[in-house]
Amino acid sequence: MTAMATDGHPDSGQWAETSHCRVSAVRRFGAFTALELVAPGVTAKASPGQFVMVTVPGGGFLLRRPLSLFTVHGDRAGLLVEARGAGSERLAALEVGETVDLAGPLGSAFPTRGVSNALLVGGGIGCAPLQYLADDLAAAGANVTAAFGFRDFRAARAAGAFAIERLWVASEDGAVGRKGTVMDVLTGLDAPPNTVVYACGPAAMIGAVQRWTIHEGLRGYASLEAHMACGTGSCHGCVVDTARGKLRVCSEGPVFALDEVTL
Amino acid sequence: MTVPLELDQVTLAVELGALRLEHPLVDASGTFDLLEYARRYHGDFFADFPYAAYVPKTVTADARTGNPAPRVTETSAGMINAIGLENPGIDAWIEGLPEWAALRRPVIVSVGGNAPRQYAAVIRALEAHLATAPRGSVPCIEGYELNVSCPNVAGGLQIGADPAATAAVVGACRAETARFLLTKLTPNVSDVTVAARAAVDAGADGLSLVNTFKAMVLDRETLRPFLGNRTGGLCGPAIKPIALRMVAEVAQALPGVPLVGMGGVMSGLDALEFIACGATAVGVGAANFSGFEAPARILGELRAELAARGYASPAAARGIALGA
Repeated sequence: MTAMATDGHPDSGQWAETSHCRVSAVRRFGAFTALELVAPGVTAKASPGQFVMVTVPGGGFLLRRPLSLFTVHGDRAGLLVEARGAGSERLAALEVGETVDLAGPLGSAFPTRGVSNALLVGGGIGCAPLQYLADDLAAAGANVTAAFGFRDFRAARAAGAFAIERLWVASEDGAVGRKGTVMDVLTGLDAPPNTVVYACGPAAMIGAVQRWTIHEGLRGYASLEAHMACGTGSCHGCVVDTARGKLRVCSEGPVFALDEVTL
Repeated sequence: MTVPLELDQVTLAVELGALRLEHPLVDASGTFDLLEYARRYHGDFFADFPYAAYVPKTVTADARTGNPAPRVTETSAGMINAIGLENPGIDAWIEGLPEWAALRRPVIVSVGGNAPRQYAAVIRALEAHLATAPRGSVPCIEGYELNVSCPNVAGGLQIGADPAATAAVVGACRAETARFLLTKLTPNVSDVTVAARAAVDAGADGLSLVNTFKAMVLDRETLRPFLGNRTGGLCGPAIKPIALRMVAEVAQALPGVPLVGMGGVMSGLDALEFIACGATAVGVGAANFSGFEAPARILGELRAELAARGYASPAAARGIALGA
């Protein structure tokens, strides 16, 4: 019997409990693979910015891999995987019909209440949670503009995985979109003063976005990447420096106010 | 001939020295954050806590911020970490006790430091608090585990690798408390029984072993050390055979001394193997990172493994591997 939830979801399952999810669709975009999973236990509780811990199937892997929720449609959870090592290579090779174990949703979400103009800034695999955020903001009637940066041609093909109406893309080798970094796109944009910036990507990009928002007088949020072991607040493996001291990306984050992150 | 038992014919309770535990499993210090779970759990986690005792993350006299990132990564059949004993220091730690006073399990406080007086200061501060704390404002603190074996802080590992230094820490702490006193040994020595004997002779009631193996992982692109601390502690299934050997050696050298065996326990069979090597209780560490359900699963498997072999209790299987 499922314990009665204290947060008003009587049948939503236990926090961080593992659910077995079938892969229902796989799309490949260069270095990135978009997985769609049947994950009602995750999608019922999820908000943009949150992540799941994914067990790498087949044995031989001790630690689960943290992946941001890329999309949520009904009972389908989308994940975007970039093959970086043996574990993510295995996840990127998943096929329709296979089953993977997920725990989540975990971590903090992007605050979106009252936002009318949103600027989403992503770098590489860090663009993943911004699709779910864009969908959520657009459904709430906000104006959404996105600027994504990718390293090279193979990575920039990931832009094809996204469906955002106003999406500007930069690639460092100029293969797709503007040649340069996402910052080159940002400096060319005219953001209204009430714009809220949402950033996710490598530390160097987060730092650059932070400086840009200060210069522009904008507020915003950053979702941070970190190497994690547990994903549930126990191991203190994923801490980052913030204005509030060292905080865990998995449990106090991954979403932080942009101005409290110290990089 | 082995006669299998029904699952309900197995009694899991064990006596770890003066501590009576509902079953043999405890969390390895630093791998299970009770409060993090209690805050988010749907239900009463203080009642549903899956381990027989709670060993919190190591606390030191002063606050420590820990090591720079990255602090963890996976390795072949294991993982490496260099957290660096991040903790708020004993004074803030004591202030937080009311938050988890409702835990209905014995607590074994993991204590760290760089010198005997630092360990003793932690215990002195806590004992002073416990002597005057109102009923219900503190959890059931029944013992200590002296972490003389953290490989990721200056002074941590060196104490555990030096029998005289280990004895000095144990002696200083023994003078501060009558509670159950464990010493957690490092495996980074050529003969683990030397420090084990030194700890017991200095007043330790029992021993935990092993802590992690000092190790290094390189960034595969830059060929520089991957961890912010350069080196870290290796744990997980990769270390289990070495940990079993060390537990068996200590059990043979110091018969009757209560042991908490640990190192790469992922399954009930792994836990039973540590019991067979002489452990009374078994620590579960890295397995906690594989999922919320790990401790309950391992405990269920342990019961089944005992039943399948006809052992009515963990005590019946204890030390089986030590004979001829």
